[in-house]
Amino acid sequence: MAQLRIENLTKRFSGQIVTRDVSLVVDDGAFCVFVGPSGCGKSTLLRLIAGLESADSGRIFVDGRDVTDAPAYDRDLAMVFQTYALYPHMSVRDNIAFALRTAKRPEPEVAAKVAEAARILQLEPYLDRKPATLSGGQRQRVAIGRAIVKAPKLFLFDEPLSNLDADLRVHMRLEIARLHKDLGATIVYVTHDQVEAMTLATKIVVLRDGRIEQMGSPLQLYDDPDTLFVAGFIGSPKMNFLTARLQGGYLSLSECDGQKIRCPEPGLALADGAGVTVGLRPQVLGRTGDQSLEGMIEIVEHFGSDSLVHARPAGSTRLLTALVDNGRELASGHRFEARFRTEDLLFFDQAGQRIR
Amino acid sequence: MTPGRSVENALLAGPLVLFLLAVLGFPTVLSLVYGFSETGFQTLTAPEFSGLKNFRDVTADPTFWQAAWFSLRFGAITALLQCGLGLALAVYLAPLARAHGWTVAILIIPMIVAPAMMGLMYRLVLHEFAGPVPHYLYSWFGWSPSFLGPANVFKTVVVAETLQWTPFAFLLFLTAYQSIPQDLREAAAVDGTRPWRLFWKIELPLMMPTVFVALFIRFIDGFRVFDNIYTLVGAGPGGSTTSISIYIYETFLRRGEIGKALAAAILLFATAFVLLSVAQRLLRGRAP
Repeated sequence: MAQLRIENLTKRFSGQIVTRDVSLVVDDGAFCVFVGPSGCGKSTLLRLIAGLESADSGRIFVDGRDVTDAPAYDRDLAMVFQTYALYPHMSVRDNIAFALRTAKRPEPEVAAKVAEAARILQLEPYLDRKPATLSGGQRQRVAIGRAIVKAPKLFLFDEPLSNLDADLRVHMRLEIARLHKDLGATIVYVTHDQVEAMTLATKIVVLRDGRIEQMGSPLQLYDDPDTLFVAGFIGSPKMNFLTARLQGGYLSLSECDGQKIRCPEPGLALADGAGVTVGLRPQVLGRTGDQSLEGMIEIVEHFGSDSLVHARPAGSTRLLTALVDNGRELASGHRFEARFRTEDLLFFDQAGQRIR
Repeated sequence: MTPGRSVENALLAGPLVLFLLAVLGFPTVLSLVYGFSETGFQTLTAPEFSGLKNFRDVTADPTFWQAAWFSLRFGAITALLQCGLGLALAVYLAPLARAHGWTVAILIIPMIVAPAMMGLMYRLVLHEFAGPVPHYLYSWFGWSPSFLGPANVFKTVVVAETLQWTPFAFLLFLTAYQSIPQDLREAAAVDGTRPWRLFWKIELPLMMPTVFVALFIRFIDGFRVFDNIYTLVGAGPGGSTTSISIYIYETFLRRGEIGKALAAAILLFATAFVLLSVAQRLLRGRAP
């Protein structure tokens, strides 16, 4: 297992920059997730690490060794592809054994490692079948098996769960988390699904337009986002954003018929009349708190233990989402008072940067 | 299938069956009739049934067996050469073909020249006294092989056929090579596979069905070769380049032994049919 270090990595495709001066460190044994919307450059970054694309500038170090110019077969990594990329003419056993045989390991060792991987991934009954006869989840497990027998320095996962149905995705997510715990492996994992990122990662790297928007632990990003983009991307359901204008010690919500909320002490370091975006997580809106917003309930989604309320403040074009405990008494058409605590408010300036 | 449907099917397939019967069936029946008859140009309208006599004549004719052996060797050797070269070219040139598609058009030019023209061209170019190739070999090295002489004529026709039809194999293999999903190559590369092993363990096995098809098509084509050899050297010195097709042609038109020629043709057809069925069964057995 090893540390991954990337320094000022830049990649262009026909003149267009897809990875822009990226620098980061993934510690030994960490589970690092690259997350971002499609086209943000996260897959390209992974392919650069794997050696499937060549960098235009910058360096990549695996375990201290500069692999920037090394071919993919010489980097001692393992990668799980979104499409699984199983060799269709080989049995499951041969697929899993392929990397070991390529490395010319003795056959008894190969057999032992394949058996071990098959046991961990519950693939024993399928070892002699061809990939075409397996279900999506089984193929996914074979692809993971192919990666783990190598005991590589670094595991790379490229959106491994996006071709699976919802149930299986949750199941495989747990499997991957367990695998990380059992193997203690260093993992770099790409996904566009922030739930996967939150649940699996020890470190999340949020990418946007080829740049690193913010990185940190999942809860750091959730509690303390640097930008509007990160605040909106991390967390489910999505954070509510309200446009406001600073007036005295108050924020006047221009979209909500001028409803006002009080600024926290000692106030915001902005000129009077400045535009501000106020962020409020659905989880902090509820029945208690020192401030409130009012609206009419349009839709309530009851989950049983809690309810997701979509309410429209008077005059607003946007719905306010609140996740409230129980909430069985709530129904559309009712008036809804969403209470919150002043310290739960987040503020962003017009450029989308956090005001602290 | 319900009876109504089978009537419908018969109606729909009927015209095609009639057309095939008219186009293929009539000559086939005629060939069978002549093949089992004592026939010459004088007795075309009144063939006289002679049982298996023509077949006995053919199988007793050493020239027939010589021709069959020539066709078999020619077909097998050219098919192997063409597929070997075509495969190497396809893998080697795939990046070029991907970047500049028009280069493929240049590579397949030999295929669109009529084989008879090819034979005539080589006849000019390799002619012992007038041909440019022997001429320059003589003036530069003081020596030239006799390309069309008995010692070398087999090699010459094999090379001529290979040069013309390698592009066919190349084209098939290029398509097969390019249809291998890129992520398999990437997965293998990340697994530590160097290019040479990638070819033997991943790419070639995935191309095997195409390799079989190409070998088979090229073998059949080589086995019944006629035009380029006939225009290049005719039956060859001492009949050394007489293929089955040339044998049939010569027996039919030169010697007027129509019944015997058709008997040979029927044998050729039967052999090809058996080979085809076996190959098809093998291919179907291999398909996943």
